[in-house]
Amino acid sequence: MNDERPSSHERDSQLSAMFDGELSAAECELIARRLTRDEALRAQWSRYSLIGAALRAERGVKLDDRVARKVMAQIAQEDTYGDSAVTATAPAAAQSAARAADRWMRFARPVFGAGIAATVAAASILFLRNQGETPAMVAANPAPATVILASETTGSTTVAQNSPPAARPTAPSTGEPDRYSTPAPSSQTSIAPPARLANYVVAHSEYSSPLSRRMALLGLVASDSAGDAPAPETAPSGTGTNDAH
Amino acid sequence: MHIDRSSSLRGVRVAALLLLTAGVAVGAEPREWLERMNKALTTRNYIGVFTHNHGGRVETLRIIDRVRGGDVSERLLSLDGPGREFIREGDEVTCYFPDKRTVLVERRAPDGPLLGALPALDESDSNVYQIKGGERERLLGRTTRLVALEPRDEYRYGYRLWIDEQTSMPLKTQLCGSSGEVIEQIVFSNIDLPERIPDSMFKPQLDASNYRWLRPDPQLVSNATPALWEAMRLPPGFRMSNRSAQTLPGSSEPATHIVYTDGVASVSVFVEPRKANSAPAEGPARVGSSSAFSTVVDGHQITAVGEVPPNTVQFIATQVKAMPRSAPAQQGLGLGPSVSSSKAEAAQQGLGLAPSAPRRK
Repeated sequence: MNDERPSSHERDSQLSAMFDGELSAAECELIARRLTRDEALRAQWSRYSLIGAALRAERGVKLDDRVARKVMAQIAQEDTYGDSAVTATAPAAAQSAARAADRWMRFARPVFGAGIAATVAAASILFLRNQGETPAMVAANPAPATVILASETTGSTTVAQNSPPAARPTAPSTGEPDRYSTPAPSSQTSIAPPARLANYVVAHSEYSSPLSRRMALLGLVASDSAGDAPAPETAPSGTGTNDAH
Repeated sequence: MHIDRSSSLRGVRVAALLLLTAGVAVGAEPREWLERMNKALTTRNYIGVFTHNHGGRVETLRIIDRVRGGDVSERLLSLDGPGREFIREGDEVTCYFPDKRTVLVERRAPDGPLLGALPALDESDSNVYQIKGGERERLLGRTTRLVALEPRDEYRYGYRLWIDEQTSMPLKTQLCGSSGEVIEQIVFSNIDLPERIPDSMFKPQLDASNYRWLRPDPQLVSNATPALWEAMRLPPGFRMSNRSAQTLPGSSEPATHIVYTDGVASVSVFVEPRKANSAPAEGPARVGSSSAFSTVVDGHQITAVGEVPPNTVQFIATQVKAMPRSAPAQQGLGLGPSVSSSKAEAAQQGLGLAPSAPRRK
């Protein structure tokens, strides 16, 4: 250990203290700078974060048990918290996280350290309020004509007619500056395109940027394209089609 | 240093402050935020739940993304409705449509690009997009940077991105039309960035053994040298980024797959010999916010697909022609015919070695 680098014990204490708000802003900044060049400190930081992830196991985040236990053991020397810590620390938005945390805490409390509750709300994990802005996404303009590709088997092209213009939505409460215009709902596009089109979208998604790939795949997976799934009857009857078992 | 348990509440804020000062260069350009976001999206493990608004519908989905070495695994799962799933593992992608009792399986060409390796914004893309913003904006209790990618013409959509300062993850994404109207929106309610994600999280939640499975034909071997297809003209800013031969489920011959990108949006063109017993597909189509346009040229079915306005795919699809093999158009794209044929062979070999070869009916 040289002068610049704190001992591992000191480092851990500092991190803990930081999570606990024991450090002044200046000291925090110091740690922040140190994080960028101190690998051990970063590793410790991610362990804290990992605990946070483990605490969130509820939402499908099922961490490997051994990993979680290892992590717990690694910070076993930390002090324990009072019962109210988790709920008191977590913002209201993280209620579900707190519930998951409680579940973990039941057996993990003896070894969980001070950092945990703070990690629940901060660290690298985001818990966001699910704001009710989605209802604002109402069609504000007449939908564009939606033409659905004919299936290969029928060979016809079907044009879904425009819907009558939807009523102007009430002003979104979220203060969103945009007006919302959406394409025709899928109820108007009830004719499924061929499996071929789904094939194309999947193949295409391999070459999209991360952002647009997600959009492309959403076209397949989200049910607003419910009519767009490859309907079995439109599947090519030739090669490559088989029923499993 | 010892711990004072009385100040835990403050700790939350301090921790947030720490992350903020540690990971963020204050005053970064909007372009830098885009780069950070792309890096985060392509290098980080994440598990998120988001709402998706499109076509007047709202749906909740979960996304799981894992990058392990050169391996990218991805799972997109609808939590509402019929529970469709998309799973990518290794070079295989599987789409489950429980509402149709259908499973779609595709394979990536073995030498295909690592996901997310392309496309990338370069300087010339500012000719077609204006990158704006970068200012702080509070969103759902987080500090984000709002970055707007505004298209300079009508051949592409715009994006508005709320990029989390701490993690560079886009917490909210809007796909916008040329006049700024929102076409599609994604808002995360929750993102975890775990250090590791177990394989078990990439298994489908449903039992699809009784579904109809559509797979590429592994027996497929084509000795014909495919003609070199290419778009004669492209909308401004688009360039070819990839060309390969790809075998798709239900095809008797590999499709030529050409990818054009403007750095943000991309359009794939698929060229397949038209089947004698099927009517040609012609005209526009839509899958979610993606557009498609089909046409027939010289007995070949040509379809352009991409996250672009309908006009763009129509423009590109109707420009696709077979090039004489002796004089392939280079256009300085660096993708000569030798590349494409070797890719075609590689693709076929890969498919021939597929472990999950389906039985032919």
